[in-house]
Parts: sequence; structure tokens; C-alpha cells
Amino acid sequence: MIVEFWGQEFKVNIIFGCIGAFLVSILASMFGFGGGPFMVPLMTVGLGLPMYLVVGSSLITIFFNTVMGSLRHYQFGNFDMTFFLIMFPAAILGGYIAPQIAKRISPLMVKRVAVVGLMLLALNLLGLY
Amino acid sequence: MITKKNIILILLFLLAMGSYYIHPGEAQDPAAPTESVQHAPPPAAVTTVLPAPGAEVAPPAPGVEEAPPAHLAVAPPAPGAEEAPSVPPAVAPPPPNVTLSIDKTSVVNGGVVTVKGQGVSGKPIYLEVWSERQVRSSFFDSKPDKDGKIPYRLYLTQAMPASYKIYAPKGKKEVFDAFKAKGGGWSYSDALKEMGADVAYSAPSKIAIDAYQSTILASIIGSRGEKLATLDDKETRRRAMQLTKARFRGIGNLISPSIEQNTDGSFIAKVNIPQGAAPGKYFIVAYADNALRSQPAVVENNISFPTMYLANAGTSLNLVWPFLLTLAIGVFGVLMGAGGGFLLNPLLISLWPLPHTVVAGTVMPTVAFSQASGIYNYSKIKFINWKLGVTMGIATLAGGFIGPKLTELITLDQYKFVFGWILIVLAALMFWQTTPGYLKKNKREQAIMSEFKKRAEAAAKAK
Repeated sequence: MIVEFWGQEFKVNIIFGCIGAFLVSILASMFGFGGGPFMVPLMTVGLGLPMYLVVGSSLITIFFNTVMGSLRHYQFGNFDMTFFLIMFPAAILGGYIAPQIAKRISPLMVKRVAVVGLMLLALNLLGLY
Repeated sequence: MITKKNIILILLFLLAMGSYYIHPGEAQDPAAPTESVQHAPPPAAVTTVLPAPGAEVAPPAPGVEEAPPAHLAVAPPAPGAEEAPSVPPAVAPPPPNVTLSIDKTSVVNGGVVTVKGQGVSGKPIYLEVWSERQVRSSFFDSKPDKDGKIPYRLYLTQAMPASYKIYAPKGKKEVFDAFKAKGGGWSYSDALKEMGADVAYSAPSKIAIDAYQSTILASIIGSRGEKLATLDDKETRRRAMQLTKARFRGIGNLISPSIEQNTDGSFIAKVNIPQGAAPGKYFIVAYADNALRSQPAVVENNISFPTMYLANAGTSLNLVWPFLLTLAIGVFGVLMGAGGGFLLNPLLISLWPLPHTVVAGTVMPTVAFSQASGIYNYSKIKFINWKLGVTMGIATLAGGFIGPKLTELITLDQYKFVFGWILIVLAALMFWQTTPGYLKKNKREQAIMSEFKKRAEAAAKAK
């Protein structure tokens, strides 16, 4: 498939992309996260697309999955309204606060903190400490 | 992008939230929960052997139903009997009877209720405590049976008590500890049997359970599988135990060897209705054996804002904490470039007794809205390739259809295990993004991106 973006053209192996997206979306909907951090490398490394094309387009891809996953979770009775109404405003508020903070700190630092935090959380989940 | 429209949207949601919690609050007011705890009369005065109210909910005990008046007549002397239990000039030994009294009839956001009562001498006494609120519980049977065949059956109930615990005499602590040492692999039915507590296992034993025969094909199309015939009583009891364990997990949540029982059969126990337990009525019944049981005593658990009951999760939460957690994770998630779900899900299930199905099913729609706002912002400056996004998006529709069903089939421990590995992969990806090679490439692309963005914004303005 040929992808056109602001005058540039990229050739993409869409079969590979779709299989990858399918696998990521199973995990994402099963465990209830968005899946962006997996979809972005799939598109940049796996499909060889530049970052500036991927940031927006990957959002569309995972949005499909999130909507479908949410509906299915709702169908299986996994959705709790009270809980949602608490988390939703907090998440939106966080989305407004974050850009204000982002201007003041280095993204590299955030990533490094995130690596450590994620590892700690992962080891905790695996019951290693 | 802070626009007026967005702020109004948030306010609307806050409003909706407000109107949502007014209901339980109003209902609680007349009950005046705080008052009722303080004026709890001295224990001896209340012999709360409530016969009628719980009768429909509690499975009627055959032994008790036969002679309810006699039972009530026996009950009043109980307070006195606590100090001098043996009545020496007994002409004929009265038919053994189990009674109990509680020191308060309501608690606020959980609390400890002291239960005193008279059991039968020589027979260990057990207390069964359960809440009237019911939640869903599911259990996927994928262990090979005797013939080595894996059943692949899904058992599902909507009627599991939101809170359930059996109290056993202190003497059973050794057996309890042996089971506790086994960790996650303990068997609830064995534990009940060996502690003698199976006589008290009653409230969940008759719940309605749906059974489904899962197949690989059914899983692929995202169905629960073929619904099986209604389970018989014995099978219901057995599966209900597995469902009870699936819901409450640890042995410490289900059994507590803490009743102090004297040789004459009298007993005293502290029943703990934990913080975070479901609101509403709690029933307490004492058992000496299958037929010998007391009338249910009823304790009302009142909760008040900001603690609210999450009906689907079966847990009350002080909502301030999840709000702050989501806010913090939301901010950090945007900063690190990964949606909050990666951090929020594991933290929520680790910090509160929430089922992983409810966490996954509720966080996902939350994430959807931040994605939607991102799409809106990028589409305004035409920074989205719809052809690519939608084509791959259709592939993810299939994944999103299958995934949520799989959530149901795994236990919380499996969920944690796989999530742990997902986070390790994510951490590796993040680490890769901090390596010099990546940063160099990224810098170049960032430059192109900001150039494009400038052009795009100029083009959007020109319109």
C-alpha cells in the first residue's frame, strides 16, 4: 500500500502491519490499555514510517480498538459507571495539566524515570519483591 | 488545547457525577448512620435474634423452622447465661440450641461487630457472614480432570455475595496456617472440610450459576461458548466454592480462625466488616452443625461520601484516592508518551480489591476519550493519514472484539503475570528511546515534524 503524507510517499507492507495491529489490539483490549507505545514502534520500525506520520495515524488505529474493546467489555458487564465517572474527569484534567508541565522538564528525564518506574511495577506484578 | 467547549464538557461531566451520587446520599440521611453507632446499647441488653427480616434471604434452617416460638423463648435468657451458663437443676436437657447476639446493628464504612452467643458444648462453632449485595464472579475451568481431559468450561454467576467470610474457632488456626502456607494454590473446599467449616458454607452454595462450554472457535469469534444445562445441587455447591475462591482469592479473605469458644459452648467473636466492604445488610449466622444454626443477626453497613459503592466491582472506595491516582497517572502518562492505562491498571488492582475485569473494562473507555481528543487535535492540522490509520484500525477491530472475552477467562494472578511481562517490554521500548542512536534519528524527525506542523498550522489558519 502506498501511503501519502504531505507530498511524500511511503511504501508499506500493509499485511504485516494489519497482523501486528491485530496482535497488539488483542493484548490491549484484554488488559485494558490503549496500546499506543506498541503501535508506534510497529509503524516506525516494523513498517519503516517516519515518526511525524505515525504519531497521529497510530491514534486512529488504536482508537478503533479502544472503542470496540470498550463496547465488548460493557457487553460482558465489566464496566462500572461510578468508577468511570471518577476516573474520567481526572484523566481529562491530567491531559490539560501535562502540557503545562511538559514545557518545563526534559522529555529524556521523564523517559528515564518511566523506565525505572515501569521495571519496578513489572517486578512487583511478577511477585519478585 | 483549552477551549471553552472542552471546559463546558468537563463541567457537564462533573455535574452528571454529582447527580449520580445524590441518590445513595439521600437514602442514607433518614437512617442517620452516625447516630446509630454511638448509641449502641450495652451488649447484654440487645439480644438481636432477628427472626423475620432475614428469613427470605437466609436459607431457612429446617431445625429452626420447626419450633420458632420455642427458639425465641430460649433466646432471652441468653445474656444471663453468658455468665452462668450451666443451669444446674435441669430436669431434662433442653434441646441444643444455637443463639447469638451482636453489640451493634450498624457500622459506618465498615467496623468491628462483637458477636456473643451460645453454641453446643463439645461442638465447634462457626460463623457465616455475608452481605446482601451481590456481585459477579467467573471461573474458567482449564485444569485437566481425572481422565486428563481439559474441560474448558466457564462458570459465571451474578449472585455472589459482595462480602463473604466464615469464622472458625481459634483452635483451627493450625489447619488454617497450613493452608495459608500453600499460597495461591490452596483449595477452598479442602480448607473448609479440614477445618470443619463446611457446615457453615451455606449462603453461596445455592446461587444460580451459568455454565458455558468454551471452544477455541467460540473464543475466536468472541463468544462465551455454548450454554450448558442448569447445574444440579451438588455441582452448584462445588462450582460455587470455586467461584467464591475466584472472587475472594486469599484464604485470609474467606476464613478467619478467631472465635473464642468456651467448653460450655458459649463463644465470642469479633466480626470485621472491612473498610471498602459493600454497603447494606450483613447477615451473621452461627452454626454448630448442618442442622443446628442460629437465626441470622443483621448488621447494616452504611457508607457516606466520598466513599461510594462500585456495584460492578463489589467494593466501596473512598473516591478521592482513585481520582488523585488517575490524575497523577494521567499527567505522567502524557509526559512519557504512553497512555495512562499501562500504569493505571496494575496500580488499581494492586492497591484496591478490584476485579481485573472491571478495571480493564472501565479504564478502556477512559482512555478512549483522551485518544479522541488527540485525534481531533491532529486532524485539525491534517497530521493524520486516514488511509493507513483506518486500514490498520479495521484489523484492530477484530482484536478488540476478542480481547475482552479473554479477560474473563484468566485469573487475577495470570493477569498480573502477563501484565508484568508487558511492562518489561514497554520499559525496554522506553529505554531504547533514550539511547543516543534513537535520539539522533528522533531529533532529525522532530525537526521535520515541527516544520510540517508550522506549515500545517499556517494552512489551517489561512482557511
